[in-house]
Parts: sequence; C-alpha cells; structure tokens
Amino acid sequence: MTTCTLEARDVTKRYGDGEAAVVAVRGVSLRVEPGEIVLIMGPSGSGKTTLLSMLGALLRPTAGTVSLDGTVLSELSEGRLPDIRLHRFGFIFQDFNLLSALTVWENVAIVAELAGLRGRAARERATAILTELGLGARLDFLPDRLSGGEKQRVAIARALVNDPALILADEPTANLDSAIGHEIMRLLRGIAKEQGRSVVIVSHDQRIRDIADRVLWLEDGAFQDEIALAVDPVCGMSVERERAASATRDGALFYFCSRGCRAEFLNGPPSA
Amino acid sequence: MLLATRNLARDRTRLALSVTGVALAVMLILLLGGYRAGIYRQTATYLDHVPGSLVVVERGVRDFLGTNSILPPGAAQAAATTPGVARVVPVLSQSAIVELHGRKQLALLIGYEPGRGGGPWSLATGREPAADGEVVIDRVMASEHGIGLEDRITILDRGETVVGLASGTSLWIGSLVFARASTIEALVRAPGARSFLFLTPAAGVSPDALRLRLAIPGADAILKSDMIAADQRLLARVYDTAIGLMTAIAFLVGVLVVGLVVYTATVERRREYGAFKAIGARNRVLFRIVALQALVAGTAGAALGTLLAVAAGWLLVAWRPQFPVAIEPSAVVLALLASVAMAVLAALVPARAMARLAPAEVFR
Repeated sequence: MTTCTLEARDVTKRYGDGEAAVVAVRGVSLRVEPGEIVLIMGPSGSGKTTLLSMLGALLRPTAGTVSLDGTVLSELSEGRLPDIRLHRFGFIFQDFNLLSALTVWENVAIVAELAGLRGRAARERATAILTELGLGARLDFLPDRLSGGEKQRVAIARALVNDPALILADEPTANLDSAIGHEIMRLLRGIAKEQGRSVVIVSHDQRIRDIADRVLWLEDGAFQDEIALAVDPVCGMSVERERAASATRDGALFYFCSRGCRAEFLNGPPSA
Repeated sequence: MLLATRNLARDRTRLALSVTGVALAVMLILLLGGYRAGIYRQTATYLDHVPGSLVVVERGVRDFLGTNSILPPGAAQAAATTPGVARVVPVLSQSAIVELHGRKQLALLIGYEPGRGGGPWSLATGREPAADGEVVIDRVMASEHGIGLEDRITILDRGETVVGLASGTSLWIGSLVFARASTIEALVRAPGARSFLFLTPAAGVSPDALRLRLAIPGADAILKSDMIAADQRLLARVYDTAIGLMTAIAFLVGVLVVGLVVYTATVERRREYGAFKAIGARNRVLFRIVALQALVAGTAGAALGTLLAVAAGWLLVAWRPQFPVAIEPSAVVLALLASVAMAVLAALVPARAMARLAPAEVFR
C-alpha cells in the first residue's frame, strides 16, 4: 500500500437550478493525512453523505476540487474513476451491501478479481483477510446467515482486499449493537494506526469520537468550528458550546442541548 | 460468470419461469417451423417420386398442384420421339371432391399407366389398380374415415373400389388418389387426356439441353425442380405469412418473459449492484452479469424447448399423421440462435437500468 493524502478544496455541491436549487455542500475544505482518522458528524441532511460521495469520487462537485496526492479526481473522465475507486479507496456502507448470492469469501474475492487478481490468488487473499478479521469459520456462508457484525467485518475485508490507502465509511456502526459497534471501531482504528491507512467516517455515533483523531461538524453543508462542540451528558447529543445551555457541577462545566436536559442533570444524583 | 449464475440459482422459481418461458417459445417456433418444413416436404412428395427430371406441361402452366394442365393431343407421342428422351411417364391429374362415408374431402386424382410409372410408390397394404373402377387411396385418409380394402368410395358421383392403401401420400391440399389413367379419363370425361409428361433424358443428355430440344406445339417443357419450386411458392403464399406471424409472436413472448425476469432480478438487486459499481465495477462488468443471466436462461430454455418440440412433434404426428412435423437440424440451430437473440434483446432494458445506476445512490 502506498500512503496518500486526500484533499478537498472549496468543494460545493448544488442540486438543481435556479430557485429550486439546493446546496448540499458549500465551500468545504478538508485534508486527510496518511494514518489519520477523520470523523464527520452533523445532523441529518447536513451534507455528510454528499461530501463523502465526493471524497470517494462517486459524485462530482459543482465547484471546487477533490484531489488525491495532487491528482484532481473531480477533473478525471468517468472512464478513469472506477479504477481509482477500485485501487485507492475502500468503501464501507451502512447497510453492508454484500452480494447476497455470493458466499463470504466470494464477496471479497470478486473485488480482488475486479482489480485483476485471478482465481486462486484472489481466493487466497480474500481468505487471509477474512481469517484475520475472525471470519475463518464463516468463509462459505451466504450473507443472510451472518450477524450484523459479521456482515460489517466482511464489508471491511472487502474494503481492504485491494490494499487501498483510504477507507471511506458511511455510518459503519449504525446497524450494530453496542458491543459489535465497539469491535468495528477497534478494527477501524487498527486499520488506520497499524496499517497506516487514512479513514474518513461519516456517522451520528458519538462513540466513534473516541477513536477519531479529528472530529468535524458539518451543518447546512459547511464545517462549523469543531472546538466549539461538546457532548450533552444527559442525551449524548453533540452541541455547540457557544449556543448551548450550560451548568457547572463539582467544578466542571457541562453543555446541554436543551433546558430539559440541563434540569434533569442538575436534579440528578451528584457525580462520583 | 459466477455472480450471474449464482443470482439465477438463488431465485429458482424465477429461473424456472424464465427457462419455461423460453422453452415454450422455442418449442412453438420449432413446431411451427417443423410443420412448415413438413408441408413443404409433402408438397414435393409426388414429384420427388415420379421418375424424370423434365416435365411437359400445357403452355403457361408452371406448377403441379395449383393449376389444371391439359396437354394437346399427340404431345406424348411427340415427346417420346424426341431424340434424347429415354423415358416418358404420362399422368392425368385432377383435383376432385371425394365422398368418404358421407364426408367430403379434397383429393388430387392421379391417373397413370401401370408399367410406365407415376403410381403409388409405397403401398401399406393391398395392390395397385389392375382394372378400371379400382383406386388406391392414402392410408391416413382411409384410417380417418374408417375405410378398408374393397370398400366403395364416391369420386365425382361414381363409385370406385379401394384396392390399396398408400403411405406418404398426404398433401396439404388433400390426399393423393391413384387410379389407372383410363379410370380418371372416365371420371373427368376426357378420353385420352394427359396433364403432364415426366421425361427422363437419355444418358449423356442434360435436362436443360433436352428442354431446349423439345418442340411440342401448345406445350412447355420445364425442369421438375422448377415445378417443385413453383408449388412451394404457391404454398408460401398460403402459409408463410401466418406461420411467420405466429413465429414472431412466439419470439416476442420469449423476449418478454426473459426480459421481465432479468429486469426484475436486476431491479431487486439494484442496491447490491450500486455498491459493486461504487467499489469500482465498470458498466461492462455489470452488463456482462445481466447478459449472462439472460443467456443462461435463454440457452437452458432453448435446450428444453427443443426436447419439448421433438416430443410434441412426435406426439402430433402419431395423433394426426396428416400434420407433418419435420424438425430439421438447421431449424434447431436457428432456434438456438433465436434464443440467443431473445437473451440479448431481453438484457437490453436491464442493462440500461444498470448504466443509469449512479454509484453514489448506494450511500443514500
């Protein structure tokens, strides 16, 4: 794997024209360094998925550029993008999106074959990655016989099989319970820190903050000041410090999404 | 290939539906083609069996089955004395309604001169007519009407005795009825009349050379192969449009069945294919998957359809021998090509859906 740097400059995505136009992403700039985990959070409809699609060369920006090690992806012809996606990016989807007719190892091997690996070599590589991810006993299973966590690990294996430098994950823990979610987070961290890959995650899941090197808050299509964010200790929502209600307890300052949460916090038992 | 076959195998009901759809379409195409080939074969059956490669006909007549021909008096003698003629088979033919146990049927009466040729070539039972008032009729016609040897049938208001049953003498316009030429002369009240002379050229004389040499007033000489072709053109005017239309409908039904099945299978897996495309699969990879699914269904359907057509053709001939079905190897090859064409056409719409699939949709 060759490390690389992904950079978005003043990226804007507009859908439609004239009065009906909707700007999903407006003037966003972002640089992802090798081995870095970047978490993009924000409310629904804030433009996170649109931004991730543009970073992964799945969608062209209306304005601005997305570049990978200096190559401007948004200027490449459609015919060149599949190869870039196949070799440089690994995608992890919220709904796993495994091919339901293929077994676990076939789901991974077929992506290696797309990249040019043939027959046994593709199978061996798929088997090795799957075994490393703890799926050695599930190689011949069809996806519908797997748990959610296992499906997501297959999806991670599929994302890794062509040894990409960048992993783009869309809500990777959304359909998983807490324990499995942590396991996936641990895997993603290992992918970044042990293997040196860059990982960009779009999620609502606050737990992922724990593994992120950087958390960006996207709202109305633009990044907000990330320093101003805090987590409501009652409901777990991310809130902007400047606008949020706050309270002090035991010498510490807390921020809340609403007065209700603040009242609940203040009326609750003192923290240990 | 793997994904295409696995997708098909996962939905067995759908696969069975598409294979059955193609099989029925191919069976219908083969049966219709086989029936057409069979009646074309029947059309030529008499001319194929009568000796000679050249036919002397009344001037202007070009076919055997569609037009009455009456040769001018002396034509047979003139032909027989033409240098280069080895053999002359004179025949008097006439379409007529035959009354069989109260039911009427069209028949082609063939009057021939025993010992000179032109009579039945394969008798299932009985003997050739030895005297006036005796006839040989087609075995299938006899069986349909419950007629046996020594039974009396009415032809043009005269009673005749059946003395033989011939095989392979059913035609699309009716059956052949053989009698001595004098019997038919009496029936059509045309003493001494002859419709055709079938000529065999002498050794070393080509049919074309003999044709140019023949000069019989009021008569033409044509190649027997041209006469067969003229009969088949006549048949084509009657049958080909209808058979062609039914074949086209069967083909269309096959395309629609495979198309619908593959399209549904594609749309159902839209999200999976979208993810595959997002990961880096090119459109051509996805097209190949769709086309292979259609091809597998089409080829399996064609194989099954061919077996069904052969079985159905055999049953049809056994049940109704007058409906000939001749499924020829070339027709099977054509049906296979038709099934491939069905598959390719059927894959077009789903392939278009694949091409329009935006990979970014998979994140939504």
